[in-house]
Amino acid sequence: MNTRQKLVYMANQIAANFARLGEPAAVIATADHIARFWDPGMRSKIVKQLDEPGHGLSAAAAAAITALRTGQETPS
Amino acid sequence: VALDHEPGLRIPNMLDAAVDGEFKALIIQGEDILQSDPNTQHVAAGLAAMECVVVHDLFLNETATYAHVFLPGSTFLEKDGTFTNAERRIQRVRKVMAPKARYADWEAVQLLANAFGLDWRYTHPAQIMDEIARLTPTFAAVSYDALDAAGSMQWPVTAAQPAGTPTMHIGAFTRGKGKFVITDYIPTDEKTGPRYPLLLTTGRILSQYNVGAQTRRTDNVAWHAEDVLEIHPHDAEQRGVVDGDWVSLKSRAGETTLRAQVTDRVAPGVVYTTFHHPATQANVVTSEYSDWATNCPEYKVTAVQVAPSNHKAPWQEDYERLGEQRRHIEPTTAQGG
Repeated sequence: MNTRQKLVYMANQIAANFARLGEPAAVIATADHIARFWDPGMRSKIVKQLDEPGHGLSAAAAAAITALRTGQETPS
Repeated sequence: VALDHEPGLRIPNMLDAAVDGEFKALIIQGEDILQSDPNTQHVAAGLAAMECVVVHDLFLNETATYAHVFLPGSTFLEKDGTFTNAERRIQRVRKVMAPKARYADWEAVQLLANAFGLDWRYTHPAQIMDEIARLTPTFAAVSYDALDAAGSMQWPVTAAQPAGTPTMHIGAFTRGKGKFVITDYIPTDEKTGPRYPLLLTTGRILSQYNVGAQTRRTDNVAWHAEDVLEIHPHDAEQRGVVDGDWVSLKSRAGETTLRAQVTDRVAPGVVYTTFHHPATQANVVTSEYSDWATNCPEYKVTAVQVAPSNHKAPWQEDYERLGEQRRHIEPTTAQGG
């Protein structure tokens, strides 16, 4: 896996582990985890990945990254 | 110095960023990531891609093979300080001799910081502890004087609990009540199949500590002189492996050669080895999968194949050559004058 693939894998992994919370809590928890524990460079890369065709993100992970992009400046 | 509120990179992310050319330099103290971290060849590629790797350690460990600068460390007998153990117990360490390397670790760090243009003027580790106490709420009332008077203390040591806290969470947790979260079982993506039908799990043995940087340099090697691959008699027979044979251990990440130990200590389908010896480097084989929350590597599950072998793996040969080359010290030429 290259770095981009790894970040996608990690985001999907986080979303899968919060899936049991049900939406929208799982999406919020995923976005919150990435905001709190990923460094800004990693966050910026995963946000850019959203714009790639066939980005590889699961629906929940993509929703979380979208939320992150919207409120990127304010990690909770 | 103002602390950045943003999280930094974890070790695997640093190595990825280094391979991508975005992470340039690293100072490593008392840690031997080349041998301890998964997928050794990726770790090596990350270290090799950096412009400056500084290793500050008691020994020329395996990571030092990739260091541009090596700073000799000091032992617990050569420095003042504290060790805090898994019981949260803060204990004083007292210097009994001057550091053979001239500087205690904290002095080396201070010299480095000042060379970077900072103006650090600590004269004793007690002052550093005072700063830790100012910055860390659970250490707020820790000082060398208090430690010397008490002998040792268990954090939190605060104004409310100046003698420390032997038992935490009496009555309530810091957050109030405990939080229970339902989570699904999510199986690993590391799968066995026709090419890699066995599961490798790695672990430790009592006589060696972690990568063995310290314990391999002692007579403890009498108990554990090499890493061996434990394999069930059924799996060994299927592969024509006899106890004591050299075998190749191969995964999607890499390959190493080590001696087999046929034993029913392991279940059929599972093989086991330790990661204490650099001649084997079990982590050449382990995968880069990690847990979702902390990126702790999945050392216990790697799909592998085992086959009889009569030669070292290419990585072992390359690494042995590189290690010898990097540890070779050219005699200094006397300067005329």
